[in-house]
Amino acid sequence: MKALESLSRHLQDERLLDAYLAARQGERLDPPVAEHLADCGACRVRYEELAQFMDLVRQEGETEADDIFTPERLRRQQMQIARRIEHVGRAARVISFPGRFVRRTMTASATPSAPRWVAAAAAAGLFIGAALGASYGWGVRGGYAVAGDRRMMPVATRGTTPGEVAADDAFLSELELALEHPHTRELRAFDALTPHVREIRDSQ
Amino acid sequence: MSGDLRPVADRTIDAAGVPEPTARGRAAVPPLSDDTQLAVAIRGLVERGEMDEARERFADLVTQHQRRASRIAYQYLRDAGDADEAVQDAFVKVFSHITSYREAWPFEVWFTRILINGCLDRRKAQLRRDRWMAGAEVSSADEARVSAANPGNDPEHRLLARERRSRIASAIDRLDGRQRTVFMLSHYGDCSPREISVMTGLKESTVRVHLFRAVRKLRGLLGAKS
Repeated sequence: MKALESLSRHLQDERLLDAYLAARQGERLDPPVAEHLADCGACRVRYEELAQFMDLVRQEGETEADDIFTPERLRRQQMQIARRIEHVGRAARVISFPGRFVRRTMTASATPSAPRWVAAAAAAGLFIGAALGASYGWGVRGGYAVAGDRRMMPVATRGTTPGEVAADDAFLSELELALEHPHTRELRAFDALTPHVREIRDSQ
Repeated sequence: MSGDLRPVADRTIDAAGVPEPTARGRAAVPPLSDDTQLAVAIRGLVERGEMDEARERFADLVTQHQRRASRIAYQYLRDAGDADEAVQDAFVKVFSHITSYREAWPFEVWFTRILINGCLDRRKAQLRRDRWMAGAEVSSADEARVSAANPGNDPEHRLLARERRSRIASAIDRLDGRQRTVFMLSHYGDCSPREISVMTGLKESTVRVHLFRAVRKLRGLLGAKS
């Protein structure tokens, strides 16, 4: 009776899907369904269409994913996972930041931050540098005098007219007067290094 | 998001987001599979503090499930980089919480559930991101990789395949959230309705209904005969 009923009605779509899933999982089909599929050509065609559609969707998805996740990529992924789980289960390290600086800061009040000889060496270096600089400055002043001599001579002899030479002399004298006693303290050092016209004149 | 299939009533998640077995999950215990036995062995090693050995054996577990996990994650996220990270995160989470694993669940079910939860979180983030940025369905880098993987295929064949896959992906994307998850687990994760029921916390009959509706809708969208 039941067998006759199963033959007289076509299988519903739900039953076809269940049959497909069972077949895919390697399970046994429901006997009445299996029997019906064996006897009913229309349902068999519907089942095959469903299976074909499902297989196509599945195959496309898997192929697409497998093309992207190549064996090489999967190997890299596995290495990444291995690297990430390497520290799981190990006690966390506490890293003081910045470690050495913090220690030094904490002990700065107890001991000097730098040895004394460093300060002494710096002072000595400064002194020697200043002395050398001063002696070089004097040497340069002499050189300037000579060079200035060479340079100034053409100016003095270059004048085309006596009036122009007198005007230059007057201008230089004014500068001389203005710079003889500079009021700005910062300029005194430069003043000391600058050759004066009167010095050139006196040497002549 | 409608795509979220966090099981509703009977799903419990510990602080780290790793699902705990439910009563229904315990009821559906198949005999211990090889990967489940391996997971139990790794758990024992971790509990005894033999971490190096545990890591070594965990690599075997990764090898067994990696490809399937990547397929599922890619179908969910449609982005190779995101899928890669989701798979890595799932494995790292599994190793970190292996001591909470109980063989009441097949390892595959436990792992897949962790993976799916991670994918759902990432999908949410993707949707948020896509609201602000125009995104492509498949990145050009992924496309290049696919082309490089099939050097023999002619461009027309590749174009047709790409179009077909794009249509399928877009149709799956239009499924309701639960339907999509159930369909993906069944279709790309090789899970039976019973296993999906354990993973999602849905009744097995509900899983079958979602699956049937998903297939019917897909066939309608993709123009197959109903």
